[in-house]
Amino acid sequence: MKISFNLPRWAWFSLLGIALLLAFAWVATTSGPLAPIKVTMTRVARGVVAPALFGIGTIEARRAYLIGPTVPGRVRSVLVDVGDSVKAGQLLAEMDPVDLDARVTSAAAATARAGSAVTTAEAQLDDAKSRQALAGSEARRFADLGRKGFVSQSVVDGKLQQQQSADAQIAAAESALVSTRQDLARQDADRVGAKQQRRNIRLEAPTDGVVTARDAEPGSTVVAGQAVLQLIDPASLWVKTRLDQSRSAGLRVGLPAEIRLRSNARELFAGKLVRIEPNSDSVTEERIAQVAFDRMPQGVSANEMADVTLHQPGVTDALILPNASLRFRGAQAGVWLRADGHLRFVPVKTGAEGLDGKVQIVEGLKAGDEVVVYSERELADDSRIKVVDAVAATAK
Amino acid sequence: MDKAVGIQIEGLSKRYGAGEAAVDALREVNMNVAPGEVVGLIGPSGSGKTTLLKCLGAVVEPTSGRITLGGEVIYDNGWKISDLRVLRRDRIGFIFQAPYLIPFLDATDNVALLPMLAGRPNAEARARALELLQALGVAQRANAEISELSGGEQQRISIARALANRPPVILADEPTAPLDSDRGLSVVRILNQMASEYQTAIIVVTHDEKIIPTFKRIYNIRDGRTFEEAGEGRALQ
Amino acid sequence: MINLAGRDILHGWGKFVLTGLGLGLLIGVTFTMAGVYRGMVDDAKVLLNNSGADLWVVQKDTLGPYAESSSIPDDVYRDLLGLPGVAQAANVTYLNMQVRKGDTDVRATVVGFEPGQPGEPGYLAAGRRITRSHYEAVADVMTRFNVGDRIRIRRHDYTVVGLTRRMVSSGGDPMVFIPLKDAQEAQFLKDNDAIVNGRTRTAANPALNRPGVPGLLDAINVSQARNHNVNAVLVRVADGHSAEAVAQDIRHWKHLQAFTREQMDDILIAKMIGAHSEQIGIFLVILAIVSAAMVAFIIYTMTLGKIREIAVLKLIGTHNRTIAGLILQQALGLGLIGFVVGKLAATAWGPAFPKYVLLETGDAARGFVIVMVICAIASTLAIRAALKVDPATAIGG
Repeated sequence: MKISFNLPRWAWFSLLGIALLLAFAWVATTSGPLAPIKVTMTRVARGVVAPALFGIGTIEARRAYLIGPTVPGRVRSVLVDVGDSVKAGQLLAEMDPVDLDARVTSAAAATARAGSAVTTAEAQLDDAKSRQALAGSEARRFADLGRKGFVSQSVVDGKLQQQQSADAQIAAAESALVSTRQDLARQDADRVGAKQQRRNIRLEAPTDGVVTARDAEPGSTVVAGQAVLQLIDPASLWVKTRLDQSRSAGLRVGLPAEIRLRSNARELFAGKLVRIEPNSDSVTEERIAQVAFDRMPQGVSANEMADVTLHQPGVTDALILPNASLRFRGAQAGVWLRADGHLRFVPVKTGAEGLDGKVQIVEGLKAGDEVVVYSERELADDSRIKVVDAVAATAK
Repeated sequence: MDKAVGIQIEGLSKRYGAGEAAVDALREVNMNVAPGEVVGLIGPSGSGKTTLLKCLGAVVEPTSGRITLGGEVIYDNGWKISDLRVLRRDRIGFIFQAPYLIPFLDATDNVALLPMLAGRPNAEARARALELLQALGVAQRANAEISELSGGEQQRISIARALANRPPVILADEPTAPLDSDRGLSVVRILNQMASEYQTAIIVVTHDEKIIPTFKRIYNIRDGRTFEEAGEGRALQ
Repeated sequence: MINLAGRDILHGWGKFVLTGLGLGLLIGVTFTMAGVYRGMVDDAKVLLNNSGADLWVVQKDTLGPYAESSSIPDDVYRDLLGLPGVAQAANVTYLNMQVRKGDTDVRATVVGFEPGQPGEPGYLAAGRRITRSHYEAVADVMTRFNVGDRIRIRRHDYTVVGLTRRMVSSGGDPMVFIPLKDAQEAQFLKDNDAIVNGRTRTAANPALNRPGVPGLLDAINVSQARNHNVNAVLVRVADGHSAEAVAQDIRHWKHLQAFTREQMDDILIAKMIGAHSEQIGIFLVILAIVSAAMVAFIIYTMTLGKIREIAVLKLIGTHNRTIAGLILQQALGLGLIGFVVGKLAATAWGPAFPKYVLLETGDAARGFVIVMVICAIASTLAIRAALKVDPATAIGG
């Protein structure tokens, strides 16, 4: 006898069996390949895009000086060390004069000797002049005598010849004088040069700055052009920033910058783009821009790494979408648009993109269009979708 | 007594084994049971009474002799029926030493199983089962699980099962063995009732002293031979 | 005629269901193993699909970039862009390494990519695409990173700005995408100690450290620290051109190898996963045998427990085939419960596995058929025992 609400056992088990089968069917249709793809959607809205360019850079000095000798030599003394501040004209290091002093003395002596030679040549010229005067008057007297027939012609010729000889000696003495004068000038110039070289062993700071390297110690020999010290002007430190060529549209001088130093990640420093290098790097495919600090931060060192964000003028009243909704078919960018209950791929043209991921849609969509943002899997034209709040659980 | 119906056994022999190890369990057994009659079969263990039941139940092949059940010769020096299973199903009812009910069927279905096996539709089979259960006084337990039933109830249900296909013959093997004297006597009473109501020939194998006096006729079996005796035929309440 | 098998099951349903559960868990393990294999194959397919490439150009005589390491100069892509049929060509790098977040680290494949080019993840599950040229990353959800996390790859810290799903390497490691230049540095730039040692060695070499040439040593050190290699160039073939034809063109360059999609499939699946598939195949066979043995044992035991009832049934006239059917139906019922439990269990614990487990409906259907067949065969042992029962034993006890 069956009581009305107490079902027979077979009925319970049939219910259980049906429940199991339903569970089975539910599992089959909500997971695995038969299930619809979970997606999130958003609408195209109007808003502001704040495009910005990002690059990493190294702190460099705008002007850096290599202080070293012009001739090979030995370092005698180095008077400053790394980190010292120096003033313009301050003596930083000295090279060993070696034989330069002796050379200066020798050059002075040579000059003196050349001077004596000039004096000698002048005296000789005087002597030649006096002999020329005598020979001239004798020649006139004997010519007169010859005309009067008191002396033979040969004697007259002899005296004429003496006069000519005396003239020639004048010329010779004059040219000898000129030559000794030239020699004096040369030796004097040598002397001045030797003195100049003697002065060059003094290595002086060309401007105010900070010593960044001390490359040679007293006693070491250096070649011409090799730096003994390196100097920079710390107020001229700027960030040599590298930006991907493909992501540097709109790069121009004057863009405001935010600089974050690797050594001080918490603080942001303001700056400005002051120069774009005319030569880009073709190997790394980067453009190089110099960004100066508005106010120099304390304790910054050269060759330190920094991140630079250059803010470009915002685009207002733009149609915007999150860049996660962009999909690519080959090289063509587009989005999955849901219209009239159907999903289809619509090619779009994008404009400015902000660092926060908002991208401006220039062509292809209008405000209010519903597009797919996140999806569980790759979508196709005939995919069945299920709109959810989030595709991946992002626990905070 | 119409000898053409009921149970007739003539010269039944059963030898197990061959040669020197052969055992003659039955030697030229003769028996007659009329329809509506309940006879006792008494003997010590090893006397061959179990073998006789097995031969009558068509589960063991005798060596020689003749068996006639309900007017049909089923064995005459060889089985004369092609499908013994159908014979057992339709023509013989079995009552065992223990109820041997099917534990996963309820009381009604245990009884209804036999007509269902015979091809009757389920509703009809269950109706007949209910009838029999009523006749045996256990109708109120019709839907009970076997495990919930007492020994006496189970025994009565097994009797109902034996009667379900209205066989002309019922073989009962120590049906009162598990029961106390009152219950045992009531079982015998029921058997007699059923026998006379449905004109069934019933052989009861027993050594229960309490019920032996109730039989009108008794067959003694010793060493494979049967001897007919008159019983006390004591009346039952 | 009532269904004896159904009645028997209903009567002892607890035992039956528990047994089914046990069998089900075993079957669930089997499905999961098959799912692991399918997941590996899917990982490989997904890897190839997600790259958006039609051709993989790698170092000659290698099977790279996934199966073997490959290194080519990073300016090769410019030459490839000049070939007819090449629509896009982009450098990519792949490196398996540990990525740190706080105190933990995760094994990941760091991918260097160029934005807008093949190699960039095609779709996101959260966050945004990378907008800065350095120090931003997009990670797969299997790394268990969140948007906004700071992670460390080699020398630099990166901010996770986006998450992806199903972006895994062929080995099943989740991918972390970073800008190509950062990835090149991560892969090829040595650690500080090695760099300092290198500088010392260069300085000790008189050919490189010439006193008469100031600035030479510095220039050499800088050039040694630079790196200009990538692991592969991903090429997208223009419409109307055949990938194999373009690949042939590229192979004519003596120092490059190019693989089409089919060839990469073959390399990944046949070569890399091949050994795994054999292992898993053997494992599945063993599981099938164990399941069969379990079912056979259980059904046999259940049958033995019913020997008396079977003798009685046979005696009272039940067909042999009805009894055989009883046992067979029980075995099949057990198999059905096991299958359903196994499929549900595999679906439930699949996501907990560190690698992707893919349970295909085809596999489930095949599994169902195999389970039923195994149960049927396993029941033959019990059926033989049941058929041998002598109905005479019911009499005489």
